[in-house]
Formats: sequence, structure tokens, C-alpha cells
Amino acid sequence: MSRDTSLRILVVEDEALIALELECLLDDLGYVIVGVAGSSAEAIELGRTTFPDVALVDIHLVDGPTGIDVARTLSLDPRTSVVFMTANDKRIPADFAGALGVIAKPYSERAVAGALRYVADIRAGLEPRPEGLDGFRLAVDGVPDDPIWPSAPWSGPKH
Amino acid sequence: MMDSGDDTGSAYNSQVESAAVDARTFAMAFDASPTPMVVTDPRLADNPIVWVNDAFVDLTGYSRSELEGRNCRMLQGPESDRRAIEIIRDAMKRQASLEVELRNYRKDGTSFWNAMTITPVRNEHGELVYYYAAQADMTEKHALELAMKGTNDELARQVNEQTADLRAALEQKTALLHEVDHRVKNNLQVISSLVLLKARRTPQGEARDALQGMAERIGALSMVHRMLYSAGDVTRFNLEEFADDFMSDLTAGIDPERTAVSAEIEPISLPAAIAAPLALMLHELATNAVRHAFPDERGGRITISARRCETGLRVLIEDDGIGLKAGKPNPAGFGCSLVEMVVKQLRGVITWHDPVPGTRVEIVIPLQQDAPTGSASASAGRAS
Repeated sequence: MSRDTSLRILVVEDEALIALELECLLDDLGYVIVGVAGSSAEAIELGRTTFPDVALVDIHLVDGPTGIDVARTLSLDPRTSVVFMTANDKRIPADFAGALGVIAKPYSERAVAGALRYVADIRAGLEPRPEGLDGFRLAVDGVPDDPIWPSAPWSGPKH
Repeated sequence: MMDSGDDTGSAYNSQVESAAVDARTFAMAFDASPTPMVVTDPRLADNPIVWVNDAFVDLTGYSRSELEGRNCRMLQGPESDRRAIEIIRDAMKRQASLEVELRNYRKDGTSFWNAMTITPVRNEHGELVYYYAAQADMTEKHALELAMKGTNDELARQVNEQTADLRAALEQKTALLHEVDHRVKNNLQVISSLVLLKARRTPQGEARDALQGMAERIGALSMVHRMLYSAGDVTRFNLEEFADDFMSDLTAGIDPERTAVSAEIEPISLPAAIAAPLALMLHELATNAVRHAFPDERGGRITISARRCETGLRVLIEDDGIGLKAGKPNPAGFGCSLVEMVVKQLRGVITWHDPVPGTRVEIVIPLQQDAPTGSASASAGRAS
């Protein structure tokens, strides 16, 4: 855990209960929380001032489905790795807006732990361990086609 | 032979006489015909009408004296198609026969659709002597065609309108499905967080364990909801896919050296409506085996299997642990009654075996082969 403890995490989540429990969970796992943002403006401002190692970003925030823009902005900083955390992964664009992957809500503690271990491995230049990654989908695996809504306007160009 | 000398004259005369008789007979026949007919003489100036039958008089409303001596164009009017008129003129120039439809006008100004067959008539020398035209009033046919076209256009318009309505309704329904899916998942996350937050603030002991247990049960339901709707078919649920995640969760944090957990889950597609109760049941039984079958560093194995059987789905959870009787009596017995309730809801049968050593639980859940998809999807929300 010693390597993982160094990870400083920004939580972008507008649901107070989820954010609070996530803080506790991250604390249990030995991570440092640099801030919690509920809106896109807050998230971008906190990203600018705290330059976190990891940003966990929900898509639906106080000001609408602005998590995508937040991810795009935060991932411009090379110091920050972005991971979506959402029940609305249908909204993620094909390029994942610069994020490494998505933790599907409702998530298990194990999924969060697995995803953060993966990000830590990547950041440390290690070969990421594949175990415990269920509930975490990598950006490299792409956005699945949605057969229910194939014309989803935000699904971007199909490969 | 026929045109080589005078001796053929008498024969010629008799031919003319018989032709004259025939011509009279023909004229009478033509006069009586219900088909309107007209003959014009192109050798006279402006190709005037030289003969009409009664039917033609009836059709046009003009008398014989008004018609004879005048060109047929007297029947044309403002809505007569210029192109059709050109076609008639061109055919006459070429002395060719022709069929054409043209809007003509009666004496009273009313119009009718005139389908005419115009034929050039030649004498024995091949010279053009008459034009003969038979007419047919096509007004009713045209009116019918117009009505049909109107009806077709109206039908096409209605079909387009309904298709657009259906498409809009489908888009709305899809948007709603996504919205509901999103809300269900988000709410499960909120509920889970709520219970976990309370657990964190509860001193270690029975109450905290109960809250932890509830959070885990919510977790089992959450796992189902992550998988529902993700595969496209909103009415079905793949048990094998669920089992992969379920087993990872179950075996996380247990020592594989001490407790071996194995699963054989067939890739069975199940109605979405039974996914949540089934997940809850599996969670309860498997967690129970992991937690209570092997106390005091005891080692052993747990086997979980799910297979199709004749009546539906057969689930078997076995362990070689201390057995039901030896286990610490659970005062609330909540886990067991939860399982019993869920099995009852699924109209299944549960059998608790107490082999030595261990526990063996067998559940058979009936599956309807052709459950109506509508009711399955409609009850999915209720069941979860």
C-alpha cells in the first residue's frame, strides 16, 4: 500500500451521501482526498489548484451532464489521471474525454480498489494487474454499441 | 390483270354496286353503334367533319348540322392538353393511326375525357381519303383514377404520420429507459452509501454486522443492475456473466489455500424479472457457506453449480464444512428466511440436506420457456 498511499484524489460527485461514503472508502484504502466538487466549475477550479493524481468524475453534476467537460479539462494536466464514476456510461464519448476508464455505478468497494490499483500501476509505469477489475471498464476497450439506442447523439463516430 | 384493259369495266361496276350496298349497311350499323364515331375529309380545306353517328351527337351535345363542315378542334377547350393535340397533329401529318386521350368540351361547356382511336382511311390507290375516329368517354375512369390517387396519397400521408409518431414514441421510450436505468443505479449507490456510512458510525458488534450485511445484500442487487440493460436485451439476463462477478466478489478476501470455492454456472439466459431475487438468494447461501461452514481455521471446499434441468433451473450449493446442526444457532435466522422467501417468490423448491460432513442446498426454480417478454420487462422493476 505504501506506493498507493501517495495517490492524491479529487472526488467529483454531486450526491453528498455517495461523496461522503466514497471519501471514507478512499481513506480506508489509504488514499488522500484533496477535495470534493459537486459542480463542473468547482471541479475544474479544484483541479487547477490541487492538481490531483487521480480525479474520480461523475457525469451528472449539479449543473447537468457536465462531467464529460470536467474530464476533458482535468485530463489536459499531465499530472492528473481521470476515471469516470457513473451510472450513465452511455453518455461517455468514444474518445472517453481523456479518461482512463469508467467505474460503473452502483460500484462495489472492490471495484473502486481494483480501479485505483490499476491507475496506480499505470502511473508507476508498471504492467497493471488484471485481477479485480470487474466493474471497471477501460477506455481502451472502447464504448460499447448500444443496440437500444444506436443513434445516441453523443456516442460519437463508430469504429 | 385488274387494271390492264376495258374488258374489266363491268366487273368493276358490279364491285362498286356491291360496295355501295355494303357502304349503306355499314353506315346504318355505324349509325346505330353506341360507340361515338366521326369521319373527317382531309382532302377538303381544314379537314372538316363529314359524318358523325348518333352516339357522337349525344356525347358532344352538338347537332349534326353544327358539327358537319367544321374541324374537330371545335371540341377542344382551355384544359385540352397541348401535348396531346401536338401528338394528334403529328400523326395526321404522317397519316398514321393513333390512340390518344384528350379533354374535350360539349356544347354546354362541360368537359369530358375523350379516348379516341384515329385511323386514316385510304382508297384503292392508297390515297388518304378520310380520317375515321371512334371515341370513348373516359371521364368516369379518370374520376376514379383521381379518387384512387387521392386515397393513396391520403393513405401514404397517414402512414408517414403514424411512422413519425411511432418513431418519436420509441425515442421517448428509449430516453425514458435510459433515465430510469440511470436513476435506479444511482439510487442503489445512494442507499448503499447510506447504509455503509451508518455502519462506519456504529460501534463494532451485532448492529454494525447487520448494517454491513445489508450493504452486501444491496451490493448483490447492485451487481444485477449493472448487468441489466447493458447487453441490449432489456428482458433477459445472463447467469454466467453474473456468476463471474459474483464469484470474484465472493472469493475476494478469503484464503484460497484454506477454502476452495469452485463454480459451474451454465450460460443460461434468464428473464430479467427473476435476476434480482436469484442474485439475493445466491448471495445469501454462498456467503453463509463462506462465513459459517469453516470456523476455527477449518479448511474445506465450496461448490456452486447452476444448470438447466427438465423443470427449469437447478442450483446446488455444497460445502464440506461443519454442517447446519453444528453451526452456531442464528437468533434472527434472517439469512435462511430470506432465502426461503425468495425461493417462494420464484415459485421454486428448496431442499436442505445435512450430509456428513457439510451442507447441501438444492433449489429448483421453474422457468417458463416462452414467458411473454412484455410482462417480464414490466415486472422487472417491481421484482427489484
